[in-house]
Amino acid sequence: MIKLSQRLLGPVTLACLAATFVLGLWVTPEDRTQKNLVRLLYVHPPIAWVALYVSFGTATIASCLYLWRRTRSMTMDRIAYCAMEVSVVFIILTLITGSIWGRPTWGVWWAWDARLTSTAILGVFALAYLALRRANDDPTLRARRSAVFAILTAVNVPIIHFSVVWWKTLHQGASVLTSTGQLNVHGSMLLAMLLGFVGFTLLFFWLLRERYRLEVKRDARSIATLDEALALRRREGV
Amino acid sequence: MTGSLTPVEPPRSSSRSSRRSLGVIGVLVIVVIVLLSQGLLTSLNYFETVDQALAQRATLGTKVIRLEGVVVPGTISRTNDGASFTIAGSGRERVYVSAQGSPPQLFQASIPVVVVGHFVSPTSLQFDGTQIMVKHTSSYIAAHPGRVTAPNGTSR
Repeated sequence: MIKLSQRLLGPVTLACLAATFVLGLWVTPEDRTQKNLVRLLYVHPPIAWVALYVSFGTATIASCLYLWRRTRSMTMDRIAYCAMEVSVVFIILTLITGSIWGRPTWGVWWAWDARLTSTAILGVFALAYLALRRANDDPTLRARRSAVFAILTAVNVPIIHFSVVWWKTLHQGASVLTSTGQLNVHGSMLLAMLLGFVGFTLLFFWLLRERYRLEVKRDARSIATLDEALALRRREGV
Repeated sequence: MTGSLTPVEPPRSSSRSSRRSLGVIGVLVIVVIVLLSQGLLTSLNYFETVDQALAQRATLGTKVIRLEGVVVPGTISRTNDGASFTIAGSGRERVYVSAQGSPPQLFQASIPVVVVGHFVSPTSLQFDGTQIMVKHTSSYIAAHPGRVTAPNGTSR
């Protein structure tokens, strides 16, 4: 069952994304105010959802599990690292797609409001996490410091989410995850957007799986290289 | 046999790692402070509403602010270097805006806008803008929900 779901992950992801693009570009209607610009609705919010909640959330949970003695393992550290790396990609895509949407709608590429600034800060945090890992040679020390750092920076995620509620921002409020539970997207537009959420979430897990496999191979290779070096050293000593 | 096999002192990787980590944290702190100073520290609120601005007009004076209000229908007129229009707050208060530069694509009547600029004088309701931004809502509604497709494929 697990093997089957692993095998289907790629094709199902591609099918969901393809359906989102078909619905988004050809089937869904224009918006009353935004006209065709609304089609970015099927891309930008799903990417932001993955960047903020799914990928950063995965990295944070894996970091917590690493710090908890009962679940501590290098697997958790690897998952946190790989999720954070994918998160960087999605945060950058969030900022790019938001900027592309902002220029024709707001009239500016960028605004220093609370939502955009806190999202940019999250991107800096994610990059700093990766830099912090490179700064440490000792795997255990690296894993512990990275986990603590990931948990501390995750505080920014609820700040980003509620920034449009707590402060006055140029960025509009939530359309789906509203405090009242009300949906502000209608009909087939909502369907296309939700399909986008599913598609990009699956894309994240697909990328995470492939990145994780690569990391396992890289670790195995570095151990093999060390063994070879030790063997060579021993031969030299004979 | 090549080279000496005398044990060498292992490198002090822990302290080096700590120095590198501190370096990364230091750079991070600087970047975050720069971003905060650009965005959040000046004001957590990106704009003042018409009601707020008029309530504190004496203190605002002719200082450059971002003013938010809804464009009153029938008041938009295009000028050589931009547009002039009236914006309203939640009450009956109105502010007359004269802004330079081309308005955004979505600029229209009854839409919330944020105008960067200043009041002409501390007592005036005239606001000189240098930039118009549209603050659209989070509601997405089909343009023609009742439209049907005719048998020949055209929409009506």
